Amino acid sequence: MLALIYFIILGVIALGSAICVFLSRHPLYGALSLVLSMVSLAGIYGLLGSPFVGVVQIMVYAGAIMMLLTFVIMVLNGARDSKTPMFDKVSLFVIPAVLALSGLVGFALVQAPIAFDASALRGSVALTSQTLFDTSSKGQGYFVLFEVLGLLLLSAMVAAVLLAKKRLGSINEGEDK
Amino acid sequence: MIEIINSRPWIEWLITIAKFAFCFVPVLYILLLIPMERRGAGFMQDRQGPNRSYIKIPFFGKIRLLGYVQNMCDGAKLFFKEQFTPSGVNKFLYNLAPAIPFAIVFLSPCVIPWFGPMVFEWGGSVVRVSGSILDSEIGVLLLFGFSSLSAYGAVLAGWASKSKYSFLGALRTSATTISYEVCLGLSLMGVLLLVGSFNLTDIVSWQEHHVWGIVAQPIAFVCFLIASIAETGRAPFDVAEGEPELVAGYHTEYGAMQFGLFYMGEYSHICINSFLISTLFLGGYAVPFVTTETIQAHMGGSLSILCGVLAFLVLAFLHLLYRYSRKLKKTNLTHKNVVLREYLLYKICGWVAVLVLIAGGLCAWFLFNPSVSFIGGETVYGIGTALGTALIHLLVLVVKSVAFCWVWIWVRWTLPRFRYDHIMHLGWKIILNIALVNLVVTAIVAKLVGGN
Repeated sequence: MLALIYFIILGVIALGSAICVFLSRHPLYGALSLVLSMVSLAGIYGLLGSPFVGVVQIMVYAGAIMMLLTFVIMVLNGARDSKTPMFDKVSLFVIPAVLALSGLVGFALVQAPIAFDASALRGSVALTSQTLFDTSSKGQGYFVLFEVLGLLLLSAMVAAVLLAKKRLGSINEGEDK
Repeated sequence: MIEIINSRPWIEWLITIAKFAFCFVPVLYILLLIPMERRGAGFMQDRQGPNRSYIKIPFFGKIRLLGYVQNMCDGAKLFFKEQFTPSGVNKFLYNLAPAIPFAIVFLSPCVIPWFGPMVFEWGGSVVRVSGSILDSEIGVLLLFGFSSLSAYGAVLAGWASKSKYSFLGALRTSATTISYEVCLGLSLMGVLLLVGSFNLTDIVSWQEHHVWGIVAQPIAFVCFLIASIAETGRAPFDVAEGEPELVAGYHTEYGAMQFGLFYMGEYSHICINSFLISTLFLGGYAVPFVTTETIQAHMGGSLSILCGVLAFLVLAFLHLLYRYSRKLKKTNLTHKNVVLREYLLYKICGWVAVLVLIAGGLCAWFLFNPSVSFIGGETVYGIGTALGTALIHLLVLVVKSVAFCWVWIWVRWTLPRFRYDHIMHLGWKIILNIALVNLVVTAIVAKLVGGN
């Protein structure tokens, strides 16, 4: 009962701030609404018996990635113009897509037999680590995917550094100066 | 609803609710840290520090409480100053920003174990209460999550002020916070690998039964200390509010209590970080060389030793007072009688404290008979022993954390401010790599030795 009340409160906050992301004219307000939405989502994860997923949501998304995003918004000139039109040509495609997707997800959720059971442990630390790093031969082998994902992120970072360096041939020149 | 309440004895509910009082510990630490910082700065710069403000009471005259009254004056000043809002600021975010770091201060203490898990006999059954407000398996991760959110205060303040100095300060803060949080998390991983749990109570009990984290992971300790000093944004890493470049950084446009909230948020952050370091690397609430079981088996003796240590500290303070009074009597200072009259009050208080502590220690030694009962093949003590153990644990943790708070002050007044690119260089190219290598070496050694 108590969990249901918390769930409704957090759900309303999450949905409301997610709508705010769409409606806010200024990119920084949009980013902040997204942070609020993520924090309340983390609370919902905690309610559903996966505190680990929830806290990772706060640490990684709300803490690090959104901080980086606010940083970028503040550095770029976009922070100054609050005259961005709310709707333009792209919205013609985006809004129907969002509506269709939410309709589909809502239909699927209504059809699926979901019982709200707050006591079941779904994403605890032990469960997550067992699922991910089960190195036995019978395991699902997610750890290989995990390592490959790490490599993928590393290669993305290397590519970003390479792109950010303007002249590839001028590394020695720069050091001489 | 009523079944939930009836499922546990009332004493468990009482202790569980009383533990919420620990949320106010960082705020209380501000009262301790600000005078400590001022007197410490004075000590390092070979001067007195603030010692002029006083309270006048009837017989003893001007009471200065060793410079502590200055603190109250500052607080009163900040509270009663006019709250101004510069024109052109973004009103909503400008007013919201100072509240964010200060609100997080109240959330952060919930995962720190303030004492060992209390286990005692009550009404024929065993009651277990954990030492932290929220005894969760994610423990330390939650603390990192909160501290990463608290940087939003500085960032929003800088942006909402619409001032170039504030803005630059905010940019620097967000960059420094992101960089050093990576180092903070990575340097911690070695300890977590050895313990095999995120829960801080587990980490402390591992340290209690093996070795302290600072012995097992000395390199990680140094990295963690540097990264957490940088994360609090204090000198030598305070480029975000460097006076020579940015006036006051992100809180340039703030005054009165809004500035005060940032100021208090910074000091509470120091408090939380020193509690975290002493929990992770210095054994937390564990008494050095003595296990909790030994303390509980000899509860009366432990309490009287505690009283003895406190009495010794008070006696040392009295010794200082007497020595200084003797020196003062020989001088020709005009105000020496006023000062001596003030010291008379301290001496009376000190001697009363010594007598009370010695009496308490003797009572504990002779009169304390802990009740022991065996329930389900387990030795369980009464509630008196459990509360006594919790008290000793709490005091030990406070001593360790105050020692670390002193490290913060010590570093601030010793090292000059780093340049901004030096900070980034130190964070990304030195500490991060050391922490990574440390993690890999720890993992290999732990695998070879056969740990977790």
